[in-house]
Amino acid sequence: MNALQRFFFLSILLLILVPPCFGAGLADKVREHTLNNGLKLLMVERHTSPTVAAWIRFKVGSVDERSDERGLAHLLEHMLFKGTTTLGTTDYAAEKPLLDKIEETAQEMMAEQAKREKGDAKRIGELKKELDRLEAEAEKYVVKEEFSVIYSRNGGAGYNAFTAKDGTTYLINIPSNKLELWAAIESDRMQNAVLREFYTERDVVAEERRRSSEAEPMGRLWETFQAAEFMAHPYGQPTIGWMSDISFLSRAKAEAFLHKYYAPNNAIVAIVGDIDPEATIALVERYFGNIPPKTPVGPVETVEPPQAGEKRVEVMGDAEPQLLIAFHKPAIAHPDDYVFDVIDMLLSEGRTSRLYKKLVVEQQLATEVGTFTGPGSRYPNLFVIEATPRAPHTAAEVEKAIEAELERLKTEPVTDRELQQILNTLEYEEYRQMSSNGGLARNLTEYEAVTGSWRYLIEHRQKVAKVTPADVVRVAQKYLVEENRAVGFIMKKEGAQQ
Amino acid sequence: MITIFTRLVILLAAIILLVSCASPAVTANPRTMTFPPLQFEVPRSERVVLGNGMVVYMLEDHELPIVSMTAYVRVGSIYEPADKVGLAGLTGAVMRSGGTRDTPPEKLDAELEFMASHIESGIGADSGNLSMTTLTKNLDRTLELYGQVLMTPAFREDRVKLAINTSVEALRRENDDPKGVADRELNKALYAGHPLGRHPTIATVKNIGRVDMEAFHRRYYHPNSVILAISGDFRKDELLKRLTATFGSWAKKEVDFPRIDEPSTRVKPEILFVRKDVSQSVIRMGEMGIDKNNPDMYALRVMNYILGGGFTSRLTQEIRSNQGLAYNVESEVNVGQRFIGTIADETETKSESTVRTVTLLRNIIAGMAAAPVTDQELSLAKDAIINSFIFGFTKPEVVVGQQARLEFYGYPPGYLEKYRDNIARVTKDDVLRVAHTYLHPNAAVLVVVGNDKQFDKPLSTFGPVREIKLEIGK
Repeated sequence: MNALQRFFFLSILLLILVPPCFGAGLADKVREHTLNNGLKLLMVERHTSPTVAAWIRFKVGSVDERSDERGLAHLLEHMLFKGTTTLGTTDYAAEKPLLDKIEETAQEMMAEQAKREKGDAKRIGELKKELDRLEAEAEKYVVKEEFSVIYSRNGGAGYNAFTAKDGTTYLINIPSNKLELWAAIESDRMQNAVLREFYTERDVVAEERRRSSEAEPMGRLWETFQAAEFMAHPYGQPTIGWMSDISFLSRAKAEAFLHKYYAPNNAIVAIVGDIDPEATIALVERYFGNIPPKTPVGPVETVEPPQAGEKRVEVMGDAEPQLLIAFHKPAIAHPDDYVFDVIDMLLSEGRTSRLYKKLVVEQQLATEVGTFTGPGSRYPNLFVIEATPRAPHTAAEVEKAIEAELERLKTEPVTDRELQQILNTLEYEEYRQMSSNGGLARNLTEYEAVTGSWRYLIEHRQKVAKVTPADVVRVAQKYLVEENRAVGFIMKKEGAQQ
Repeated sequence: MITIFTRLVILLAAIILLVSCASPAVTANPRTMTFPPLQFEVPRSERVVLGNGMVVYMLEDHELPIVSMTAYVRVGSIYEPADKVGLAGLTGAVMRSGGTRDTPPEKLDAELEFMASHIESGIGADSGNLSMTTLTKNLDRTLELYGQVLMTPAFREDRVKLAINTSVEALRRENDDPKGVADRELNKALYAGHPLGRHPTIATVKNIGRVDMEAFHRRYYHPNSVILAISGDFRKDELLKRLTATFGSWAKKEVDFPRIDEPSTRVKPEILFVRKDVSQSVIRMGEMGIDKNNPDMYALRVMNYILGGGFTSRLTQEIRSNQGLAYNVESEVNVGQRFIGTIADETETKSESTVRTVTLLRNIIAGMAAAPVTDQELSLAKDAIINSFIFGFTKPEVVVGQQARLEFYGYPPGYLEKYRDNIARVTKDDVLRVAHTYLHPNAAVLVVVGNDKQFDKPLSTFGPVREIKLEIGK
């Protein structure tokens, strides 16, 4: 075989081996790189537009808080928008003594407030005034929202962050010629954050809590329901914290949490879009490579004890009835969890799903019905069914109808066509998630963090494909039982507006 | 003699040296970094008109084996009769849920979901949408069903009843959400007396039947009223053949649109209060703004960015960041695409700081008209709008949909191409002038939903208050 022949042979081989471009699934597109300090970098090259989504996920969330830290992971996320020793300030050296004075005053005030009615009200008033005065004084050094200003000026879009039970994520979309700006700001933020304007921001979080949990009837029910479902495990505490928790969070606590966990070995970075992976690795090495690792986030030791009987939770509100039904189930990637994914889709995916067909279309007991997994996935969690009863039907009627559908799962094997439809849906979803830089970055960081590998995304459909009708019956019989069940309602308060 | 090998070693050593010289890492200062210019042209899709007048925009993209399609249809709730408010929305929903002449609803749902294809239909204030996504391998059959839903929906009686019952339940629940209540009451006040200010009630919805939906569809759904936007994994010539096969026999028909008056350009200033037992007040403010043909649009966009358009805005910096009074505070200029739009502000604060926050909101808005913005504010707003422009073009379906909508609403040619230049031309004087012309915080509509027993001061501080009593479904 001469050279030319060899070349042709090789080309043919390549044609056979290389699938058509879209046939190349996620497995071939993700590039992984781990820095010496433990930072995990995941990249996907997509040149649809000259833009990049950059997500940083820290594997620390509200589940990792101690009881006196409830709400801290989330408040810290807010605080990490306030700048560093060089950004967000005109002169950190001059600012720092004032920040220390603010902290001293706040600590003294909180110690007095913690005594509740026995506290010295006059002294609290004085300290509050002093705190306000000091914070106003410190403002003169603040360059307001400088991260935001710099990113915005450079065309950054969707600059944001979110905190969940399992982790905390910081994200932005940026024109691809400015990726280095992201690296410069985020590596600075990882090492040199300054939690200035702390006590004003704590008030902002209190307003966020009123907005999302207190004024929203469904938010209130979900919060109460979680707390009832997890007596021991921290999944039961609200991510934002209870109101009294928030009012005793301090900058000192937030800094301790920050310095303990915010480190490259607890971080996963996903960069998706118009990038050159080699150049991106070099960029990330240059900006993040020298950051020292810190305490790895350890597993939560508490295990929720088995439920001893059905739980019922009622929330009174100025709102029409709503219904939640939940069952404890294992963590993500447990063999039974894939069976729950099948059950989830059977019950509520689309207009042909069992609960929609039965409750919404045929019996018309409810106008909406859905199922989901929550409040987190890293640890054993809940399979939740929610429904909106249609008047004059009551939540109790809806509950009964749902129960009948759950019973069916225990006795009647699912059909091959139903299973095939689920696999078809998952196939479509696999492609669809690749159509957005942000969506892909989200999935890569999320699953890398909670399952240990982004490959969960490709293995998931293969695992679901192995679920048999007998598995569904077994899992339904094991978990969807009365002593493992909780039911939550919103009941209309007497005398509320009609 | 230096061999090739030695030369290579020397070269390698030089590279290693260079690399080690570069350590410790050279990092840049975010305040002063500069970047190479971004090369970007607004992507173009192809426009074709079918024989029956249906306009088609196509953008091929073979990254993923998916095809997406949306039809924009000249229809809307503005055309529904006053005693049947809700008809347009229900017609849109039942076009999809009620099956077609050839495919009953159960079969339509089962077939689509087995293929993992999606068809969804809806009708808003001034446009109807019928969207579809499918894996390429199922394009033919999904397109066939899509054509049926668009042209020959059956509005089966039991599905009509189901949609009405669902809608009644949603209306019964509307007052559960304080933010929803405030938004609704603001819209009703701003567009009072105009179809855009109408809102369905249980009575108007119960007054709708199958014949109404069928007639509404028959009157407005014709090929010459449709613009199709298609993107994804297809070949243009093949797709055109399929489109002709699907829609070719759909006959053209001139539509007799009811005359809709322009909304009033001035609102009646009012303070509206809705009592709700909650710990946080919902605050909404609004007045009339502009439509897309108004040349002040660019200056208003810049003005709004500075006032309340993002994290760096005056409203967020003062009300949220400096005073900790709210989590969410923003202003928006809704540029009307067909009719004049609104300028609105929103925030939520604990009951005890309600009047204080409204006062601040009004003062900050008034400040926009009192003095010119700073050079820094102006340049930040313009840079942000211009440099983030590109994020309107990150997905093929968004690009093609945008081009379809420009034609649908009759934007002038070159609107997108000139957008960044038009923003760049805005001056401090322009911003001051539009703030002065369009912002009247003390003569706007103010809506507060909350528990007045806990307010820091009575709402009547601002003038006479009209209380709206909540009634279910009315």
